[in-house]
Amino acid sequence: MKKVLLCLALALLVAPSITMASDGAGLFVQKCGACHKRGGTAPSVNPADKAGVVWKKYFSRGRHPEDLAATINDAELETVILYLKAHAADSDQPAAAVIPK
Amino acid sequence: MKKIMLTASAVLLWSGCLHAQNTITMPAEDYKAIIQQLHTLQQRVDMLEHQKTPAQPAGLTNKKVTKLEKAVDNIYDTLDQVESKTLQDRINFGAELRTRVDNFKVENHTFFTDGSTQDTSNDNSWSNRFRLNMDAKIQKNLLFTGRLSVYKNFADSDNNNMTGDSNSVHRPGNSTVKLDRAYIDWIPEGMPVPLAITFGRHPSSEGPPFELKENRQRQSTYPGLLFDGEADGVVATVGLERYTGLKNSGLRLAYGKAYQDDDNIDSYLNNASSYSDTNVFAAFLETAIPGIDDSLMVFSALRATSMFVDTTPMMPPGFGQQANLGDMELYGIHAQANKVAGSNFDVFVSTGLNKANPNGQTVAGGTMGLLNNDGTTSHSGWAAYAGLRYNIQTSRFNNPKIGFEYNHGSDYWFSFTSGSTELFNKLAVRGDVYDLYYIQPFNDNLSMRLGYTMVNYNYGLSGFHIGDSGDSTETLRNGYMLLDARF
Repeated sequence: MKKVLLCLALALLVAPSITMASDGAGLFVQKCGACHKRGGTAPSVNPADKAGVVWKKYFSRGRHPEDLAATINDAELETVILYLKAHAADSDQPAAAVIPK
Repeated sequence: MKKIMLTASAVLLWSGCLHAQNTITMPAEDYKAIIQQLHTLQQRVDMLEHQKTPAQPAGLTNKKVTKLEKAVDNIYDTLDQVESKTLQDRINFGAELRTRVDNFKVENHTFFTDGSTQDTSNDNSWSNRFRLNMDAKIQKNLLFTGRLSVYKNFADSDNNNMTGDSNSVHRPGNSTVKLDRAYIDWIPEGMPVPLAITFGRHPSSEGPPFELKENRQRQSTYPGLLFDGEADGVVATVGLERYTGLKNSGLRLAYGKAYQDDDNIDSYLNNASSYSDTNVFAAFLETAIPGIDDSLMVFSALRATSMFVDTTPMMPPGFGQQANLGDMELYGIHAQANKVAGSNFDVFVSTGLNKANPNGQTVAGGTMGLLNNDGTTSHSGWAAYAGLRYNIQTSRFNNPKIGFEYNHGSDYWFSFTSGSTELFNKLAVRGDVYDLYYIQPFNDNLSMRLGYTMVNYNYGLSGFHIGDSGDSTETLRNGYMLLDARF
């Protein structure tokens, strides 16, 4: 019984982070991948293309060439940025092939 | 101006209304003049509204603006790449290479296995030592330091059977890269006292005062006379400066193992041989010496439990034995000051005391216990170590240094210095050691050291914690030259 309880506790601890990550990944693929895909209208992009702090600066400087207002709302963009930072080039889990090059 | 326009329009409208209600007639010239005035006003309004947008510098065309925008974008892209790459370079690397040649002569070297003596010498024993140093600031309160090392004699890659976990990196062996040190310094935030936790393979070799002879920064927490070797462990350091007012004062509590039992077969440690681990508990209280700049004082206390011995490498096949022989206590005081009293002298003095608490166990057919031959007699030893270094202030010769060190160990002196950077483990000597050296820097990265070491072993089994020391007439004379490149 103790083992079951331990597993449940672990699952509860781990679940939110998994959900957060998958939300970020899902949004990234859905929203960013719409254009940034192989053969898309923009070059393919992955979190490991930049370091975490660089991703943050990129968006705070408004460097995305297209206006994203119609594509993604502020809350969604924040989620995507968190995902990009969590899997950036300097993170411990860099993601380089979420969107195939 | 808009107000004027509005007013004028209102006047016209009002006049139109009046005209509709009560027709006003005016001369055509007046009407034209009013229209002209309105037109003029409209022009001024247009002009003023146009001036609200920033004036474009002369010569700056829209084409140029577009070009500049692209250039800025390009600069940002480059910055992104450089910053991303920099942030991925988590570890900084440094390296050092030492080539050394020794000319030594040993007389009356006694083999404790059969008591026979032998002279040995080599007029040119060459070795190379390469070290790859690493460090990383993972976070502001999380630091990593590491060092990989290869230390070998020229044209020789044999294993050295007399080395173990505490000294294999510091003794010439094969060309395998070995882990000298790899540890994390973690400084937890929000603690009631200043605290640092250090875990991993420790900076436990080449401690004070070796930095003088090695001509570098302090390399270890622990005074070299008491502990000098590779060690895995955990250390808690409590900063005391704010409580004592003594500069750089702190208390270090250390735990490690000098031996951990295993069967050398399974990947886990299963106590198969039923020998106890040798646990090491130590406390170090250190501070700058009050009133003396660039100084250090360390009070040390160390206890090693169930001191383990394996005589297999030293005995004929089939005669090797393993045993836990008892506990060993070590105490020490170390004091050091650089450029003392404004002079060009760096000085140090260090002393140590050891006490054996044997448990009755013996090896070598019942003839060797912990610092005794009967397994039960308790012996104590002591050592003193002092030296000075003179900084020759002559920039023409790159400020060379000359130093002299002396140490004496009593008949039962023992400390944990098997991993000493001193090739002959001079601080373990039961007898007298005289050590003279000269350091000649060539530039910031390259230096040479010439030295001569004279050892008179008054007692036997220096460096061993087994057996009664007995008298010895062994002597060692060694002259050497080494080249150090660090970058």
